[in-house]
Amino acid sequence: MIKQETITEAMYNAIRLGATRMPPDIRAALQKALAEETEPMAKKHLEVSLQNADMSEKGNGLVCADTGFPMYFVHAGRKTEVEGGFNTIYECAAAATARATAECFLRPTMVDPLTRKNPGDNIGPGMPKVELIFDRDDDSLEILAAPKGGGSEIFGTFYRMMFPADGKAGIKKFVIECIKDACYAGKVCPPAIIGVGIGGTADLCMSLAKKAALLRPVGSHHPDPEVAALETELYNACRKLGIGPMGSRGINAVLAINLDTAVTHTAALPVAVNAQCLVGRRWIARIDGKGNINYSGDLA
Amino acid sequence: MKNIRLPMSPEDAAGLKLGEMVTVSGMLFTGRSRFHIRAIEDDIYPEIDYEKINCFFHVGPVMRQNGDAWEVVSCEPTSSIRFERYGADVVRKFNLRTLIGKTTMGQATAQALKETGGVFLSKIGLSGNALRDQVKKVHEVHFLDELGKTECTWIYEVDHFGPFFVAIDASGRNYFEELAAEANARMPEVEQDLDIPADYRYTEVNG
Repeated sequence: MIKQETITEAMYNAIRLGATRMPPDIRAALQKALAEETEPMAKKHLEVSLQNADMSEKGNGLVCADTGFPMYFVHAGRKTEVEGGFNTIYECAAAATARATAECFLRPTMVDPLTRKNPGDNIGPGMPKVELIFDRDDDSLEILAAPKGGGSEIFGTFYRMMFPADGKAGIKKFVIECIKDACYAGKVCPPAIIGVGIGGTADLCMSLAKKAALLRPVGSHHPDPEVAALETELYNACRKLGIGPMGSRGINAVLAINLDTAVTHTAALPVAVNAQCLVGRRWIARIDGKGNINYSGDLA
Repeated sequence: MKNIRLPMSPEDAAGLKLGEMVTVSGMLFTGRSRFHIRAIEDDIYPEIDYEKINCFFHVGPVMRQNGDAWEVVSCEPTSSIRFERYGADVVRKFNLRTLIGKTTMGQATAQALKETGGVFLSKIGLSGNALRDQVKKVHEVHFLDELGKTECTWIYEVDHFGPFFVAIDASGRNYFEELAAEANARMPEVEQDLDIPADYRYTEVNG
């Protein structure tokens, strides 16, 4: 049985660490991009961003001051037991988010969409976003906290319902056009991690795209060789656009293009794109069945 | 690298080249969407001397209160292109010659800046922590209760603030629009690499 206070503590620390540290795979990918770029401005954008993360990791500020949408992806196992039941995880997430906001690790950014009123604690209907994923066999709980920046979410979200006749050419055209638009003037803060969902319903398609962008380590590939080949093809093509870090002249508009699929209607070919920004903020708290918490920036 | 004193003189602005890196020193005010909408739609805006505090920094900083004093935790420029609907009117209303933000702004704002002899400076990388260290003093805050810490207007005194680069110069040239034209010109070749036929069209289902 995992206690409620353990979950709240794990969520608070995960979102705090997410806002103040750069995950190791993201740092390595940015350093590789820095080595590849030749234009002075492209290099400068990356150098400054890495220095900014260094300052934050030394306890001096944030990886990015737009801590954006507070999100938690919670993986549970068949044998996982939560004190008070799984519903309490939503309360834990709200408490963790409010504390991180009060302590200035998160900016008060969530507002009512119509009145624009800001409650000041990032809490409201639907926020923080918590997604429960029952995909484990053990008694653990794994929490990935992602303060997802506005730039990537606002300027990096696209959806198109295509049709079987539009084929792979349609998918590729849509994705490459989205990347070009998203990177214009550095809107999504490139080099971005591009998640692409193909198939499912509209909401499932977008969820696939978001998880492909947020829940996969940079450099990984989809297990299906055909999907993985499409990832590589799009990644290589994207590097020829001439778009680099923060929309400057360069090579690295993206750090990765991650695809995922779901079966869909025989009449349909839905495609969704969701971007993550260059700092790829996330931190993970792994709680075992006895309540011990381990923190890491690495995805398994 | 040039360090330019704020308020920026028309001569200093005219001397800045497109793409040039620059820092600024002096007084600035902050704001985001709510500043723009209220200033133009409702004629509500902070009562400050815009001739002296003439630099508009597009940002929602993270601010911490220590007793009566406010300190900046981090301040990352926000995407200015979002404000394009009101950008030109705001530049003209306050006779602004310096905008600092992220991304770029559109042709209407570029035209207004040409009229005031002003420039748009865009951020370099993510630099909110270095920028915080260059804020020497938080002088005032306006509309904190109404708008909250993120959307309200802060008055900062900054020293060697930046670097930023000139994304719209005083003649109205736009760095990113020129880059976008280059990327658009490369698209046919990129699409060819992806085996997308040159005459490809998505299936059209609307009248």
